[in-house]
Amino acid sequence: MSSPLTARIVEEYESAARSLPAADAHERHAAIEALRVSGLPTSRDENWKYANLRSLERQRFVPAATAAPLAGAGLPARLAGFPRYGFVDGVFATGSSAPLDASGARITPGTSGNAHRSFSADERFALLNQAFATGGVTLQVPAAGSEPARLELVFLASADSKAGACYPRVDIRLDPGASLTLIERHLSAGEQASFVASAVTIDLQPGARLEHYRLQELNPRSILFDTVSAELARESAYRLHCISTGAQAARSTLAVRLNGERAELNLAVAALGGGQQVQDAYALVEHHAPHARTEQTFRGIAAGRARVAFNGKIVVAKGARGTDSRQSLRGLLAGPEAEIDVRPQLEIYTDDVRCSHGATAGKLDDNMLFYLLSRGLTPESAQRLLKWAFLEDVVAQIALPALRRQIEERLADHLGDDTLRELL
Amino acid sequence: MAAMLSIDNLHVSVGGKEILKGLTLAVQAGEVHAIMGPNGSGKSTLAHVLAGRPGYQISAGTVRYQGRDLLALPPEERAREGVFLGFQYPVEIPGVNNVYLLKAALNAQRKQRGLPEVDAFEFLGLVREKMKLMHIEDSFLSRGVNEGFSGGEKKRNEILQMVILEPRLAILDETDSGLDIDALKLVAAGVNTQRSPERSCVLVTHYQRLLEYVVPDFVHVLVRGRIAKSGDRGLALELERRGYDWVTGEAA
Repeated sequence: MSSPLTARIVEEYESAARSLPAADAHERHAAIEALRVSGLPTSRDENWKYANLRSLERQRFVPAATAAPLAGAGLPARLAGFPRYGFVDGVFATGSSAPLDASGARITPGTSGNAHRSFSADERFALLNQAFATGGVTLQVPAAGSEPARLELVFLASADSKAGACYPRVDIRLDPGASLTLIERHLSAGEQASFVASAVTIDLQPGARLEHYRLQELNPRSILFDTVSAELARESAYRLHCISTGAQAARSTLAVRLNGERAELNLAVAALGGGQQVQDAYALVEHHAPHARTEQTFRGIAAGRARVAFNGKIVVAKGARGTDSRQSLRGLLAGPEAEIDVRPQLEIYTDDVRCSHGATAGKLDDNMLFYLLSRGLTPESAQRLLKWAFLEDVVAQIALPALRRQIEERLADHLGDDTLRELL
Repeated sequence: MAAMLSIDNLHVSVGGKEILKGLTLAVQAGEVHAIMGPNGSGKSTLAHVLAGRPGYQISAGTVRYQGRDLLALPPEERAREGVFLGFQYPVEIPGVNNVYLLKAALNAQRKQRGLPEVDAFEFLGLVREKMKLMHIEDSFLSRGVNEGFSGGEKKRNEILQMVILEPRLAILDETDSGLDIDALKLVAAGVNTQRSPERSCVLVTHYQRLLEYVVPDFVHVLVRGRIAKSGDRGLALELERRGYDWVTGEAA
């Protein structure tokens, strides 16, 4: 399948290939070949109908030439104990980062640390990233016995999409028993309409633990396509928290494979959309081994004319007996023209599993609203308070108090109410 | 001086069915009135209409609160002006902290009166003092509004809110239902602390049990959307003895 879009991507790749770093040329070439064959997803693809794919038509795919340095101003406050590593338009900014050995994790400029496997059809944007990314890093946490590592990655998008695209890229590997708490932020440096196609690959070895916070706060003109691909070995645990409030259109594809017995995934996603924003997430979780667990929580609020979608698919492969999965997916419609799409999907190929799911989309509860009005709150503040409360199931899972506070402040800003800050 | 509450010939329908059919009632400042009646007589409808709950069609009649047209005010204005509804079924709001709601409610009222926001430290002192009165545990402070509360805890929380907000007109909708005797006494004690020459209370109740602890100045029996009989506390005792049939038969 070769659409005009795919043809143009290949063409742009070929014209730029010589100026891309030669070190990983092999992986790049493999990725663009795979993309040439498969093309990017279209809105006819079941799991892509809510993403804003039309925005791709006007993008340039060659990597932006980065100019802006990572400015200290405007960045969120540093969190104590978390060395910060900065990236501008996807390129590691050594000069504005903590020393490479500051965190307990081994950070190496360059990618392809986890390029040992291919991406599935829904991870095709990772191929785009693999073909073009130039400034990613590999993050490795050595085996147990060492201190749990903590660090923060800040990806700043500064380039206008006319000048090229941003390709944040991180390959993470946790050795057996290793532990990492990772904060990953996506921010805009200014008002430019950036195009960001980011990819994170994760390899958790037996018994490894990753606590991963992803905060998407791009400016409201930017477009994001984002892929997280994770492999979980025996008894490893992955806790992924996604808070998505930014961008004009954001699509996150989260593909997690539980390959080892008793692996655990906890996925908590909050997405807020207003204006004409699109917040679309697709989580594909595959259980390939016995007695693994998945817990998914999604809370999305769509106001204005926004569309907020979450599609959570859980596949229980043959032999994955004793699988325990729970999905709680809830969307809140906060405007007559807003759209919420929440969809749990289960594909089970084995007996002896426990899979529960609940999905709701609706408006604020009239009884709750009246209760608050009867206590003297205005309709506006009552609604904001209930939206805030609606997000609590996700926010309460943030285990770092200082980070939680930053996130709550962001959410309070987004809901437009200073008095909510009293809740902090 | 205008009456605290003056209801005149009130007709209210829900979904095309008339529930209140010409109800008339006057409550003066300082008085406690009990509204009794069999199930379906319109007691809760009356409480909800006074608090401004949507979904009720008012086809005739007037309600004046301290001389003002109460029905013209949105629910939050009524609350700010000192009308308080104690819910029969208090709503659980997970994620909204009890203390936050109390503070927001108190500040909304103070703003209306042109007072500054309550000092956070003093406020917490006030809440703790009133919690003691209502035998509410400290863990309440960090919990969501009514979240996971038992029936009795929810009712005590309603009264806690009332004693903190100090409304001029409290309407308690079957606050006594589902309470054991200890909880009933606590609720009654809470209500009694609010009795003063400036404040009034309307107790909506099915049983006269509560009235042993909160002695009303007047008792009214609501039957088929109208007040069928009024009297003093003796009327409640007589109802207890003779049952509602006694009045409903008379009213028919």
